[in-house]
Amino acid sequence: MNPIIRRELLEVLRTRKALLLQFGLAVGCMLLVLVRWPTGEVADLTGARSVQVLLVFGYGLLAGILLLVPAFPATTIVREKIKGTLALLFNSPLSPASIYLGKLGGALGFTAVLLVMTLPAAAACYALGGAGIRGGITLLYAVLGVAVLQMCTLGLLVSCRSQSTDSALRFTYALVLGIAVLTLVPHALLLGSSDLWAQLAGWLRCLSPVPAVMEVLGHADVGAHGMISAQSVLPRYLILALLFSLVCGLSTVSLLNHNLFDRSRPAGVMTEDLSTQGQTFRRLLFLVDPQRRSGSISLWINPVMVKEFRTRRFGRSHWMLRLVAVCAILSLGLSYVAASEARSWGIEYIGGGLVLLQIALLILFAPSLAAGLVSSERESGSWQLLRMTPLSPGKILFGKLSSVAWPLFLLLCATLPGYIVMMTVKPELWYQVQRVVVCLVLTAVFAVLLSAAASTFFRVTALATTASYLALLTICVGTLLIWLGRGAPFGHATVAAVLSINPVAAALQAAEMPGFTQYELLPANWWIIGSACLFLLIFLRFRTWQLCRPE
Amino acid sequence: MAAVVETRDLTKKYGSFVALDRLTLSVERGQILGFVGPNGAGKTTTIRILVGLARPTSGSARVAGADCVTEARKIKRLVGYMPDTFGSYDNMRVGEYLDFFGAAFGIPRRERVQRIGAVLETARASSFRDLFVEALSHGMKQRVAVARTLLHDPQVLILDEPANGLDPEARIEMRHLLLDLAERGKTLIVTSHILPELARICHRVAIITRGRLRSFGTLEEITRQLRPSRPMEIQLTSAAALEHVTALVRQTIEPDAEVSSSPAELVVRFRTTKRDEELTGLLAALVAADAGVAQFREVQTDLEEAFMTVARESG
Repeated sequence: MNPIIRRELLEVLRTRKALLLQFGLAVGCMLLVLVRWPTGEVADLTGARSVQVLLVFGYGLLAGILLLVPAFPATTIVREKIKGTLALLFNSPLSPASIYLGKLGGALGFTAVLLVMTLPAAAACYALGGAGIRGGITLLYAVLGVAVLQMCTLGLLVSCRSQSTDSALRFTYALVLGIAVLTLVPHALLLGSSDLWAQLAGWLRCLSPVPAVMEVLGHADVGAHGMISAQSVLPRYLILALLFSLVCGLSTVSLLNHNLFDRSRPAGVMTEDLSTQGQTFRRLLFLVDPQRRSGSISLWINPVMVKEFRTRRFGRSHWMLRLVAVCAILSLGLSYVAASEARSWGIEYIGGGLVLLQIALLILFAPSLAAGLVSSERESGSWQLLRMTPLSPGKILFGKLSSVAWPLFLLLCATLPGYIVMMTVKPELWYQVQRVVVCLVLTAVFAVLLSAAASTFFRVTALATTASYLALLTICVGTLLIWLGRGAPFGHATVAAVLSINPVAAALQAAEMPGFTQYELLPANWWIIGSACLFLLIFLRFRTWQLCRPE
Repeated sequence: MAAVVETRDLTKKYGSFVALDRLTLSVERGQILGFVGPNGAGKTTTIRILVGLARPTSGSARVAGADCVTEARKIKRLVGYMPDTFGSYDNMRVGEYLDFFGAAFGIPRRERVQRIGAVLETARASSFRDLFVEALSHGMKQRVAVARTLLHDPQVLILDEPANGLDPEARIEMRHLLLDLAERGKTLIVTSHILPELARICHRVAIITRGRLRSFGTLEEITRQLRPSRPMEIQLTSAAALEHVTALVRQTIEPDAEVSSSPAELVVRFRTTKRDEELTGLLAALVAADAGVAQFREVQTDLEEAFMTVARESG
């Protein structure tokens, strides 16, 4: 047996997190089956109850795979690189391929343990009737297995190329979002068309496991308005996902060598040291030159905020300008879509799409910016240096939160023109847009505060990032699984109660997205999220004070 | 001279574990105190109390007249602390790194620019200004850390393992830097496991084990305190008189004193409490016996030996 598989598996399985994860999964599956287990004297011969459970079960497993699985492979190589044990592995007789297969085997093994724990629930679905073994449950597990392989190989590739565990996590989650969700967008936009672009978009969406799982569970395609497509996406998904995994695997193996450590240190060349021509060229190339000596921090600006911007890879002025430019282009694109497709799609779908896009960006960016605010300082040892300065805990916290608030504000502003176009097309939408914007702002504040609060709990940024993503996705996406089972197995009141804590659902209801209009989530959701924000802010202030005071 | 750093019966307990037990010491202006002890002896705990990062369970600690517990904000300006970990920030150049700490200490912009130049010059790190902090070698980082510690012009510098991981050349440079700072009137508290290095620069030494101060004073005072008997050595030119010399030594010094001879080295070693004047008789007797004495000298006890003695005695 490959010694790395054994070590990786033991390392993961010995942790308390793994135990909690397994226990939580077992309890979740058990409750799900219990909800629909026949208790009366009348048996359901149609198997409708089983299908209802299977729907939540299937999408729940898919969500779990997309959220949990990438975290393990994404950190495994980079962690060894930082600790220095990867160099020891290179000096052992193990080949890069066996190191890779060991790592992959470890990640797949742990996921297999988790999937095996869900088998009793799947068996219960089968026992309830209605869900066939060959067509339903087995196929679902096969698709999920391929999805696991896809996510693991992707995580390992990112891990191999990253320099820190938290950046590996951020990039992996961004790519998972891109592959699982963003690949569906072109197909949804070009639905009904049959030209080359539409065909390409049709293939591209098959990279995501979502349409394949939807097909297995008997749902229609994304954006198909309930119409089942004649063409199956399953074979396409299996081919593309396996091909994708192979490419990721080969790329990672080719990267796994001593070159990972063979890098020269940056020479620290400054534009001011270049010739006049060189300086002019750089000034033309960059509007804000990253290689120019930065000015001193003004005393009226919070130094912690400036420090946070400077230490972030994408926090420098030239990157912020690029972010503004990308957001402006995105905004123009959205405005164009809103203007041109409003009649054919309906303004509600456009609004819903805009909301989903903004929420996706917020969920992706907020934890990546805020989850390392305190944990990264504690991890690097710079927190005690910060404590040794005369800066008060309040000023430190304010500086850190402001450094996250500004980029998110830019992101939010970027999509506003889309709403303006919508209001031009349909002026009575003014009230609706106002409510959506309030929801989005609250979501952004909540996401930042939740991630920052997680950051104060962990000494390792990778853990804080994972915890933030999990907490946020559980609230924003996990609760939507209950919405998916609306009508059955979950009643209207249950769904409404669960959705009341979900800011995404509130925003979609405010945008009058079909499927959400029947729930009265506002203003209750504002009160809940607003109170949660206030609590988190007080908690953060307390934690910062606690971490700053003498031990 | 008034003490700049002073601790009195400083005690720190973590539950039932006593990390620091009634530590009393003082350091005067312009002095370097070598703080020596094995791992887990309580050095870092003492330092953390002095810089206001930890509170003592009982006792008091003052730096330049400010109480380390009640005047923590004042202490931050009086003390420059260099921990054993560098505390780097990613994607930041050395100049920006120092600028941030200068701004955090509220140093006005113009003055800050000058101070950054000056402290980099003092730490012999001016050439690193544009380099990224994470790209620096360990020795370079140590110099930048010293520059950061000096940035707000503190009266007292507390350096935790400044020579740790440095190559011999960098270690010599660090030694010169610390002596230079002491000459400028800074008071330094330095911890290190490299005892010969510390012995060369320290005016006073404090040896601490298991949270207790075992010895405190100049190196000379400590060695005298630890070893009342002095180690002596007689180097001979030939082995012929080795036994005779050994017998003469035994007759002259205390009856229970250790005497040993090494035919391979042609050396006779012994320990005695007798003063120099009392030993002149022995030397005269050796010369009169034509024993071929090449050297008659006292072996200097170093900090390492003193530390080992304390460590052995404290179990």
